[in-house]
This record gives sequence, C-alpha cells and structure tokens, in this order.
Amino acid sequence: MGVLCALLALGLGVVLTGAYNIEVRDGDGWRSLAQRQRTRRLHVTPKRGTIYDRHNTPLAVSVEVPSVSVDAVELLRGIQEEYISMRVQQYATRIAEALHLPVEVVAKKLARHRRFAWLKRRVTTEEVASVRALQNRRQRYPVRGLMIEGEGRRFYPHRSLASSLLGFVAPDGMGKEGIELALDTQLRGRPEEIRGLRDRAGRLIFAEGIQDEAALAGHNVVLTIDQGIQFIAERELEAAVRTHEARSGSIVIVDPSTGEILAMANAPNYNPNDYNVSSAQQRRNRANIDSFEPGSTFKVFAMATALAAKSVRPTDTIYCEEGRMPIDNVVIHDTHPSKWLNPTQIIQISSNIGIAKISLGLGGQKLYDGLRRFGFGTATALPLPGRVAGTLRPRGRPWVPVETAAAAFGQGVSVTNVQLTMALAALANKGRLLEPIIVKKITDSTGIVLHEASPKVRRRVVSPRIARLVAEMMSSVTEGEGTGIEAAIPGFRVAGKTATAQKIDPATGRYNDTHYVASFMGFVPAARPRLAVSVVIDEPMAGTTAGGTVAGPVFRRVVEMSLRYLGVRPRGTRTMNLTKLAKTPKELKGTNAAARLTEPVPVAAYTGRGGVRVPKLQGQAVRSAVQALVEAGLIPVVRGSGRLARTEPPTGTRVARGSKVTLVFEPQT
Amino acid sequence: MNEAVRQVRFARARRLLTRSGDGTVDTVLAAAVVAMIGFGVVMVYSSSSFEATVRFSDAQYFLKRQAIFAVMSLLAMWLLSRLDYRLLRPLTYPMLIVVIGLLAATVAGFGHRAGNAYRWLALGPIRIQPSELAKVVLVLWLAYSLSKKGERVKSFWVGLVPHLLVVGILMALCLKQPDFGSAVVLFCLTFMLLFVAGVRLPHIGVTVAAFAVAGAALVRFSAYRYGRFLSWMNMSEHRQGLAYQPFQSVMSLGSGGIFGLGLGSGMQVLYLPEAHNDFIAAIVGEELGFVGVVGMCGMYTLIVARGIKVATQAMDDYGAYIAFGISALLAMQVLLNLAVAMAIIPTKGLTLPFISYGGSSLLVSGASIGILLSISRRRQDHQSTSADGGPDSMDDIPESASAVVATAAESGW
Repeated sequence: MGVLCALLALGLGVVLTGAYNIEVRDGDGWRSLAQRQRTRRLHVTPKRGTIYDRHNTPLAVSVEVPSVSVDAVELLRGIQEEYISMRVQQYATRIAEALHLPVEVVAKKLARHRRFAWLKRRVTTEEVASVRALQNRRQRYPVRGLMIEGEGRRFYPHRSLASSLLGFVAPDGMGKEGIELALDTQLRGRPEEIRGLRDRAGRLIFAEGIQDEAALAGHNVVLTIDQGIQFIAERELEAAVRTHEARSGSIVIVDPSTGEILAMANAPNYNPNDYNVSSAQQRRNRANIDSFEPGSTFKVFAMATALAAKSVRPTDTIYCEEGRMPIDNVVIHDTHPSKWLNPTQIIQISSNIGIAKISLGLGGQKLYDGLRRFGFGTATALPLPGRVAGTLRPRGRPWVPVETAAAAFGQGVSVTNVQLTMALAALANKGRLLEPIIVKKITDSTGIVLHEASPKVRRRVVSPRIARLVAEMMSSVTEGEGTGIEAAIPGFRVAGKTATAQKIDPATGRYNDTHYVASFMGFVPAARPRLAVSVVIDEPMAGTTAGGTVAGPVFRRVVEMSLRYLGVRPRGTRTMNLTKLAKTPKELKGTNAAARLTEPVPVAAYTGRGGVRVPKLQGQAVRSAVQALVEAGLIPVVRGSGRLARTEPPTGTRVARGSKVTLVFEPQT
Repeated sequence: MNEAVRQVRFARARRLLTRSGDGTVDTVLAAAVVAMIGFGVVMVYSSSSFEATVRFSDAQYFLKRQAIFAVMSLLAMWLLSRLDYRLLRPLTYPMLIVVIGLLAATVAGFGHRAGNAYRWLALGPIRIQPSELAKVVLVLWLAYSLSKKGERVKSFWVGLVPHLLVVGILMALCLKQPDFGSAVVLFCLTFMLLFVAGVRLPHIGVTVAAFAVAGAALVRFSAYRYGRFLSWMNMSEHRQGLAYQPFQSVMSLGSGGIFGLGLGSGMQVLYLPEAHNDFIAAIVGEELGFVGVVGMCGMYTLIVARGIKVATQAMDDYGAYIAFGISALLAMQVLLNLAVAMAIIPTKGLTLPFISYGGSSLLVSGASIGILLSISRRRQDHQSTSADGGPDSMDDIPESASAVVATAAESGW
C-alpha cells in the first residue's frame, strides 16, 4: 500500500511540475499565443462618408454590398491529410456553384489554406442566399468558414455629374483622384483599430462592443458645388465641345463675394460608377490642373494693374498703329486695326497693340508684380490633388520688352482656369482676391461640424474704384462693337472679356493659325456680381474659333440659366415690360426667344397665357427633374433624394415663370 | 423461522437505517468534499457561461443544472454516510449485473453520442454515464470478492483469474464505446486493489505486461487512437487538428501565470471545447493561476489522504478495501485528468471529480464519498467501546484482513 501511495505521490509531483512549467516558466509565451489567437483584425471597413453639394444633395454615397470571404483553415479543420485535396475539390465545386465562379479559382484559394481570402466581392442577393444555404448547420455537410461581410461600395447617384471633381474609389476603399483622394482620410473614417475577439468558429465577439458604429464611420463632406449650376454648366459645356469638335473644355463658376466654387465642369467627363471604362483623359480635372495660355482675357488684369499704378488714365488715348506694330524682331497684329483708342476701347475690341503699349509704359517688373498679386504664378490652396501654379516667367528671368507686351495679352504665360476665375472674381469683388473654397463643411457622422470654410481674403489687389472702372470697361465688351456681344444676357449687364489664344505647335515651337483656346470670362450682374464664370474651350475646330463666338454663347446660356436657377431677377434699364411684351405681335417677340430655340423645352409646360404649368415629373431622378424644371423656366428647390414623389405646388398648377418649385424626392422602396 | 429471529433482524435493519452507527464521520473529509463541490459549481459557471449563452441563450444554463446535481450529490452523500456500508454487500452482484447491462446497452446502440463516442444512456430526461458507475461498482465488487477470499487470493485461479475476467468484460465494454480513459482507470484500480489484497507480485507483473502490450496494440491499430497519440507526440504541428484540445488547454493554463486572470476573466473558454467538462482544470489554471492549481491539488491530496486513513482504520477488510479503492479511484481520476489538461498524456475522456460539469460524475463521486464516510464512522478504535455498549456490534463479520491492510498502510504513509 505504501508503494501505491508513493506512486500516487509521484503522479502528483509530475502533475504539479507540469503545472509549474506551463504556468510559471512558460506562462508568458502561452499567454501571448492565446492573445494572438483571440484578437482578430477587422476586415469590416467603416462606412465611407458621403459627399454632398451645398444644398446637401448627395453626390457620392457608400452603400453596403455584401462580399463573401472564406477562412480556409476553418473550412478544412479536422480533415486528415490524405483527404484534403479531395475535400478541397468537393467544397470548391459547391462554393463555385453557389457563387457562379470557376471551380479552379475557388479550389486554388482553398488550397492556399489561409485564414482569410476573398471569394467574391459584391455578390447578389441570390448568391447570399445560396451561401447561407451552404453554411446551414442542419444539413449533412455544412461548409464552415464562409463569411458574408458588408463591404462599402461607392455610388454616384448623379453619374457623371462633377465626376472629374469628385474622383472615384477603388474596390479596396482607397479614394482615387479628386475629392475622394484629397479628403480620403476624412472620408474613410478613423483608422483606429478595433480589437475584436473571436471564438473558435471564427465568429466575432466584442467584449466592449462597437455599438458606436457611427463614431467609426467616415466624415461627411459638403462641397460648395451647387448641383443645379454644375449640371447646367456641364450640359452646356458638353454641347459646345461637341458642336465645335473641340478637344476639351472647362467651366469654373465662383460666387465672387465668398470665393466659393459653385461649379467646376470639365469635358469630356466620365461615369465614376463605371470608372474602369474611362480613360485618364476623361478623368482629368482640367479646370484645376490644366494650364493654358490665356490670351486676351489677360488684358483685363494688365489694364487693372496699369490703372492702379496710374501709368495710364481712363481718359488717355493710345495710338494703335493701324493694326501692326513691330517690337524687337516680332510684329504684333490687331484683329480690329485702329488708330486712336482709349483704354475702354482697347478692352472692348481687344487691341493687342494698345495693351502692349500700356504695359510697356508700366514696365515689365510692375506688370509681373501686378499679375502675381492677382494670384497668377501661384498654385491655389484648393484641397484637390495636383497643384498647378502656371508660369508667368517661363524662362525664369525678368521679361524683355517683347515678353512684357506679349504677357499683357496673355501670350508666353500660362494659368489654370481656377486661377483665372479667382482673379476675375477679385475684380468682381471690389478688388479683393479671395481664397477659392470647394469644401464648405466637414461633419462627422453624428453631425458635429469639424471644419467649416469661411471666406478668406488673400489680399486687396486693386482698389474698389479701379475694380469698378475695369468692370465698366469689361461691360463694354458685351455691348455695341464689343467682341463678346454674343455673351450678352438680356436684362443684365455682363462684364466680360473674350480670348482667342493661339496655341504653340509642339512640332515647330511657334504659334500656329489652326489651334486655339477660345475662352470667355465674365461676371454678372456687372454692378453687383453674383457669379464669376470662366469658360475655356480647347481647340475648337468646327466653324469659328473666336472666343466670343465659341465660348461667349456658352457663357450666356450657363449664366442665364444659373441666374434663373438662383432666382436673380433682371433689373435696371433693360428689364422688359412683360405686359408690353405680351402685346407685341408674336413674330416680334423676339430676338431673345430665338436664342432659346435650340433648347429642348417640354411644350406642354407652356400655357400661352403667360405663366407656366408645373410639369409632370413624378418618378424622375433628381437630375432629369431639375433639368426639366429649369427648362420650363422654373427654379427647382431640391429636397430629399431618390425619385421625385411630389412637387410643391403640385403638378399642373399654373405659376409665374421664375417662381420656385420644391421638388420632394423620396428613396425608392 | 421463528418470530424472535425475525424481530432481531428487523431491529437490526432499523438500527442500520436510523442510527448513524457508533462513531462520528470524518468531518475533515466531509468538509473538504463539500468545499470542492461548491468550488466546482463556481468553476462550472465561470467556464460555461459563454457556451451556455451561445447554445442556449442562457448564461446560467449549466450553472443551474450543476447546482441541482450538487444538491443531489450531497444528499446521496449524506444518505449513504448514514447507512451502514455493509448493507451493500448483498447488493454487489445485482449492481455488477446492472452496470454490465447498462454498458452493454450503451454499446449496443441505445447510447447517446457526444463527439465520436457513445458514452451516455438516456433514461427519460436523464442522461447517465454508465462508465462512471462501473468504476465504483467495480471497487465494491473487488472489495467484496477480495475480503471474502482472504488468504486464498494468493492462488492464481482464485485470486487473479475471476477478477481479471470481470474487469476484462468491463474494460472491453468501455473500449467499445470508446472510452479508453475509463478502461485504463478500471485496469489500474483492479491491480491496485489486487496488490493491496496480497495477490502475488509475479502474477500481477505478468498480467500488467500482457495488458500493456494489448493496450499498445490497441492504440497502434486503431486509427482514431493512433492519430491522437501522434498528435500528442507532436503537438504544435497538429494544433489545429487533433491536438487542438490539449493545445488550447495548455494555452489556457499558461495564460494564467502565477495568480491567474481572476475568476470569470478567462478568455480561453472561447476556444476550449468542453471547457466546463473534461478540461475544466485548464480554466481553473487560467483563472486562478498556478496558486489555484496547487490549492486544488492540495485539497485532493487531503481528501485522498483522509480516504486512505479511513481505509487503515476500517473495522473490517471489506470496508478497508472499499475505502482504499474509492480513494485510489479518486486520486487516479484527478491525476489523469490533470495530466491530460497539461498534455502530459494524450487526451482521455475523464472528468475531474467534484468539479467537472455532469450529473453522473458528481452523483457517483458524492455517493462514493458517502460510502467512505459511512466506513469512517466505524473505526477500529470505536470497535471496543461499541462492543461493550451492547447488541449493536456486528460480530459476525470477519476482521482479520483489515489489520493487515492497516499495518501495510502505516508502514508506507
């Protein structure tokens, strides 16, 4: 018996030694092993923030789309070595059938024996159902280790609208290009690691829980873009680029009093929902990153600088050499040869010689400094990928006289459309250059505002008096003999400037006579500007190439519709008396009605008795409803998202042209 | 049969039932066992709440059941401690036959499956594990047989063969389930008792060797056992497969360190299958640390030591054998379970007495401690006093062998 007791004591000793070795001696190792086993990195990415326009219309939203992944280790647990390849084949066949995948692909993924592998991303509802059927434990051979996780997929409800500005999101959740790239970290949400526990089936268990899912989600970004104006700008730009067989084009629309960019349109563009069928050319945000020689629009800034420096007075007259002036070994030509011109006329008929003489009188250094003060040669502070400064001194040295003269009419320098529009806005804003704003607000997912943009004055470029003076000169461009008469908008004074800039042929290094950049910039109404707009059409080939005739009409249509959209009523001397207009015979009604004949108009919406019926738009998408309403001459106020549920006032109600109609959208069920 | 004889018998039976015998129970032993059962209930809750929530959406599912089992077990213990253990003598063969029947029924296809083994028998809503019962019944039968045979156990045909036959049947039935662990326990138990009873050493040695060879062959030529054996030999390689349980178990123990993570803070319950059952020791190690394991072992040592003391002081051979058998059974179960939890030996399906979840195990343990306590009431030193006291003395029971056991134990203890 003693022997047996000793044996038992020996056993006790063995057990206690074992316990000591495991718990005390090797404890740390086991503990960290256990820790590693139960913590699991999360594959669930927080919901990406939404991008809104200034009226909180969603431009880019993330929707949860289920994806299927597999834990091959779990799937093949407990299967003996010799059967593994057979089982892999069997499982792969069943999984492939459920997910409509090739069997070999699935088999390869299973055979790799990893703890995590995507099987198929973005599966359909039926596929989810068949995966669930495979997982069902009540069947004879359930498939373990399959996981269905919601994965964020980016959706752009307005398709190509503002696409080159917004950018897109790659399947791995990385923002590419545009706002999606520039604000990726904010949109993506806090990258803070969530420590999950998992049990032996690989299921996630959270000790503290992540009920606060909203806190993990990405921030929402509200842009200054106005969806309605953006839409108008894109539509008109696209039409112009198509009509003139141009290479590309861009439009930037700025609110001159705040510096907020209301629209940034580019053509060509693409549908970011299908970004992989687009080319880099289509995705380019030209307004922000393409620099070009501005041409005659630059005269405005040269003139403003000269006037501010008092090297020329508004009342001076300058001899314009009858259209031909040699400087050094270059001859400068005018399209409208003249003898004596005052500064207003120089702007109005865009005399190269006149502005060259003024700038030579001002001096190269002063002109350079003045243009710098307008923001040229410095990249804007927009939070967008790609910072392009443009160049004022391409050779990196002070200008020689011919370069000074050329710079004054926008040759030998390059700018971006955003720079140009901001400088224009400075003239519209009493000479104060503002910082451009594209991001109005960033809020976290719970609604707390993290960042709110406010207008920021970069500098006072010229005095309000000079700004008003230049605006007055620019107004003459769209009046009388001006080059931009086609940009005139009935009921408004338009301060503008045309440009038809020759392009340098890369083959010869010289300006050629076939490729131009046609542009028009201007602000409306000239006295109290609401919009500063710059239209740039690159290489118009069909028909005319002049800025006034290519870009001018685009400007007019965009601004006219935008003003109507914004509810800005024509005022001043040219306001038409509606009652008088109604009395005039039909054929005399007009020149200005003719201008709109090109626009598709739902005829049924016209009543023929003054005033407009609210068209029937139920069930339409935001974009087409807004479009139809704008075309009917009404101002849409968008509420909600989805499909149009009703309008206020209701369909068929007769309302005065230009009145506001609220469009109530509701998500589709 | 006359009236007087019947009356004497009736009186004796009444005394046996109503009077707690002539001495007090071993209070230290009783207290230690009650404490361990209470501790077990706590540990079952701590280790099962997760599994219970997942499977039954009720964190207390196992706790409630274990608490009921504990109360039943304590009742059984109390009842049996008040009964005279000698009442069991005539019940020996019926019990043995019933147990063999139950085991056979389990194997024959009435069993309930858990994992790959059919170890349970459903009697209405209650599930019992006949192999738990078999161990105690075997002890009772061996004690009965050995005490009856006395010196004749030295003979090969009388001392060895019948016992080997019975234990062989029981083991075969256990192996068929399959329950290798129980078979090993039954085997060891038999030889410990045979050794104590004085069966000749060469007989024991030869048989042990034969059984060992048979066992090894059984392991080698059964794919399931050989797989377990191989995975035990090379644990880290099979950590996701067959060695999953022992590997997780060792990980649990190791996570505890010296003082443990604290009751209820163990995380390995997520991974360790049967955490509240066969591998509860691992959770004890994780939550209470090395200190907890040592304390638990201390308690078991105390219980086993008191049990052996009861054996040495028992007033007859029968009681001595039972007491020793029960103590040895307990000690073996504990050691094997702990060794499995520490992956010192390959996985067996053995429960940790008093602590593991399970009605059969707890009831059988409680009952066997009850028998042990009943034996402790009738110590040798009380013998004389009670003999003087009157007609209570059971002088018709042979007492020779108990002295032999006592001296043998004292020399070694």
